[in-house]
Parts: sequence; structure tokens; C-alpha cells
Amino acid sequence: MAASRIKTKIKANLNLFLTVGPVSLWILLFVFAPVAVIVFISFLASTPFGDILPRFSIENYRFLLFGESEYARAVLRSILYAFVTNMACLLIGFPMAYWISKYGGRFKAFFLFLVIVPSWSCYIIRIYALKQLVGYPGIVNDFLLGIGLISSPINILYTPAAVILGLIYIWLPFMVLPIYASLEGINPALLEASLDLGANPRWRFLTITLPLVKGGIFGGTILTFIPALGDWLVPLLIGGNRVWMAGNLIEHFLVVRGKIAMASSMAVILTAAVVLLIYMFIKLGGEESMERIV
Amino acid sequence: MKILNARAINTVLMIAGYLFIWGPIVVLGIFSFNSNAYGVKWESLTVKWYVDFFHSPAIITAVLRSLFIASVTTVCATVIGTLAGYGLYKYKFSGRRALRMSVLLPITVPYVIMAGALLVYFTRIVHIPLGYPAIIIAHISFSAPLAVFVTLGRMQRINWSLEEASVDLGADTLTTWRKITIPLLLPAIFASAVLIFPWSFNDFTVTYFVAGVGTTTLPLYLYSMLEYSLKPVLINVISLIFIIVPIICILLVYLVRGKRKHTA
Repeated sequence: MAASRIKTKIKANLNLFLTVGPVSLWILLFVFAPVAVIVFISFLASTPFGDILPRFSIENYRFLLFGESEYARAVLRSILYAFVTNMACLLIGFPMAYWISKYGGRFKAFFLFLVIVPSWSCYIIRIYALKQLVGYPGIVNDFLLGIGLISSPINILYTPAAVILGLIYIWLPFMVLPIYASLEGINPALLEASLDLGANPRWRFLTITLPLVKGGIFGGTILTFIPALGDWLVPLLIGGNRVWMAGNLIEHFLVVRGKIAMASSMAVILTAAVVLLIYMFIKLGGEESMERIV
Repeated sequence: MKILNARAINTVLMIAGYLFIWGPIVVLGIFSFNSNAYGVKWESLTVKWYVDFFHSPAIITAVLRSLFIASVTTVCATVIGTLAGYGLYKYKFSGRRALRMSVLLPITVPYVIMAGALLVYFTRIVHIPLGYPAIIIAHISFSAPLAVFVTLGRMQRINWSLEEASVDLGADTLTTWRKITIPLLLPAIFASAVLIFPWSFNDFTVTYFVAGVGTTTLPLYLYSMLEYSLKPVLINVISLIFIIVPIICILLVYLVRGKRKHTA
């Protein structure tokens, strides 16, 4: 009796080890360890040339947060860009999700598919596509000049506006999906009840639909705000060297200038900002916003 | 009347959204047939860039590299990710919640940070050579979580009594896995692979950090083309081949499947 119980216990543990083991080991070795190394290095001193000295120091953080560094400003700028991106994604994405959910009929999956597919393709191609369209010379400019709406070409490339446009373009699909999932989860009886009780459609939308998709909206916010905040490729490709976000500074210090300790401190600060924001969004949006992400 | 108005506005906004998403890509595709190599001005219809594309060994090599990396990544990440999703759903154990949260970590921390951390880790601590090994390890770290969550999402919809029945009828663990569990998990495995393969094939940030010298994948090659303005029109060609062709294939599969379901 006891022996067989031990045997089943060993078997259960073996199963657990074989299924969950590989990923746990992988995450430990190739996610936790690198992050731990970065955090450790961020508290080390280094020479002016970037060589790391084995000595504890919070000089990096002092310099980045209170010193002459432009990093603090870059982080604030990134948060601002991410916020604008997020709001724009909400404004563009909500009507799309709402339409698909309400009028999509039997083509719902197809319409959703059309939203997701571009996000599977290469970033670089997508940003290049956008650049070719809105840059100068470019099709949008030619068109506006042609119909006489503008008298001289507008060049928005290499400006914050272009970077934000690029961010919206890249991250929009991730706003549509969670909102759609939330809208689909609404019990239709609630909407009918509100009509029966005399609410007009606009009032119903504001008092029933909107509060019920709050989780989806905050889920979408996490999926657009956070990656937009950490983005470095859009500013690199569409902003030239003129608009820098926090991610660009990290890449620059790590790869170009080889100042690993400084770059690590920057990474820790940005990660802290990300964690704080995610925590805030989950608090505001409730448990559902968490579920809508995965 | 009012409801009709709201619907009309909603439809217009929806169409505008789709135009925003698809406009640039479609224009890019159309201009791949433009004879002006730099251009946004339409000159004349040509397919010479497609001929050029198939005659540039550097691009073909980059494509083959990306395909190789994406294949290895997809197989490894799907296997360990699906196993973990299965284990997380089936077994109760201490640290289950912690593991779920940990798996989320690589996809929530900004890519530039995770990729930078891996670069420092590979070069300074564990001395894994940059290039194929580093790229594949990094890609698995980022894509295994996707497989975990895809599998977890699908597990709820699977009828697990079949597995119990198999055990009750005397099948050993291995037979049950081979005959019941894996077939049940196939849709999840397939969904994970479909998600991971394009991710790995198209990834720029992670690859850029850990590629070192000489392992130029397709996205890295595209980046250098843009950087040095080498025949930018080839990017249009590549975009058509790697975005629009796969989309048409998927759409066809979708339509054929939809029709079959409809007639059945």
C-alpha cells in the first residue's frame, strides 16, 4: 500500500519534471540569469571608457536620474509618446473592434484575421512601407499637392509626429484584439434589458457597453503602451538620429559605446517604469485586463 | 434613423482603420512593379526587380539563414512550450503561479532590454558564440512563452476523459501519450508553430543584438539595405513575396475550409 503510494508519487513528480522542467530550466538560464546579471552590473562602478570595476556604486543611477544625463528626459519623452500612441490606438481600434463584434456576422474571424496578419510580417518592411507613403517625395504628399490642399510638401519624417505615427501603425492590432474579446464576452441580455428599461442607444453604450469592456481596454493598453514605451526600432528607422526614445539610448550605450554598466542602469530604470505602469493598468482595469492579454 | 447614423459612422471609422493598416502594405506591393528603383513616382510596369531578386545570392543566403533559424526555433520552442503548457494545466504544484508569471517575463520586458541582457550574458558570462547558437537560444527564450500560453488557452477546450479512459483500459503512459495526448494537443502544437515561425523569421531586435558578425538574417539584410539605400525597390519585392503571398495562401486555406464546413 505505502510502496504503491510512493510509486505513484514518484511517477507524478517525474511527469511534472518532464513537462514543466525544460521550460523552467530554460527560463532560469536564459531569462532570469541574464536579467540578474544586468541588475548586478548596474550597481558596479566603471572607468570612463566603460570597463567595469569590481566595486559597488550607485553613481550610474545618480547620474542618470539627477545628473547631466539626457536619459531621464528620454524616458519621460518615451512615456509621452507611448501615451499618445495608446490613445490613438484606442480611438482607431475601438470602432474597428466594435464593428467586427456587432456587424461582422459570419465573417468575424476573417475581419479579425485582416487585423492580425500585418503584425506577423517584418517590422522593417512595415515601417518602410509607411515611410514611403508619408515621406517626401511620397504618395500622400503628391496627392495633397495634386488636389491643391497644401502648397508645399510637408515632411514629417524625422519628427516626433512621424515616430508616433509609426508606433501607432505597428501596435494598433494589439489594441483591437483584447477589446474585441471583451465585447464578445458581454451578455446580450444586459443590452436588451437596458433598452427595455428605456435607455437610448447612446446612453446604453456609455453606461453598459463601455464599463463592461473596461478590462479589454486596459488589456489593450498594456499590449500597446508597454511595447511602444520600450520601442527603439521605430525611432531608429523613421526618426533618423533626431528623435531618441529610451530604448535607443540603451542600444547606443550598450552596442555603440560599450558602456555596459551605464546601459544596464538605464535598462533597470526603464524596466522599473514598465513594471510600475503594468501594475497601475492592472489595478485600474481589474483582473480581466490581465486575462485579455494571454 | 439615429441607429442607422451610428452604424454608418462606425462603418466609416472601421474602413478608415483597415485602410490605415493595409494601405501602406498594398502600395508597397504595387510599387514593386515600378521601373523606377528609388521611387515613389510611377514610371512603367516591370518585373525586372523580381528577376534581380532571384539573382542576388546575398538575399537568397539571408533568406535561407532566416528559414534555418526559424525552423530550429519553432521545433524547440513548440516542444518545450507545449509540454510546459500541458504540465501547468494538468498538475497542481507549488510555484505554479510563479512559473506562469515568470514565463510572461520575456514578453513583457521591452525587447531591447531582454536582447541587451542576453548579449551581455552571452559575451561576458557564459561565452556562447554569437551567431547561430546565440540567435537560436535567444529566439527560443522569447517564443517558448508564446507556445505555453497558446497551449494553456486550448487545454480548456479539450476533452480529457479520453486520456483517463486510455489509462483505465490499461495503456501505459507512453502509449497514452502517443495515441491520445499528442493527437489531442495537435491543434495547440500547430497554432504555436504558426505563431512562432513568422515571429522568428521576422525578428529584428533580438537577432540584431546577438547575431555578431556574418550571420545576416533577412531582416538584418533589409535593414542594411535601407541604411545604405541599396536598391530600395528590392524591399518592395521582398515585401510582396513574404507578406502578400503567405496571406493569399492563408486566405485560400481559410476560404476552402470555410466552404467545406459550410457544405458539411
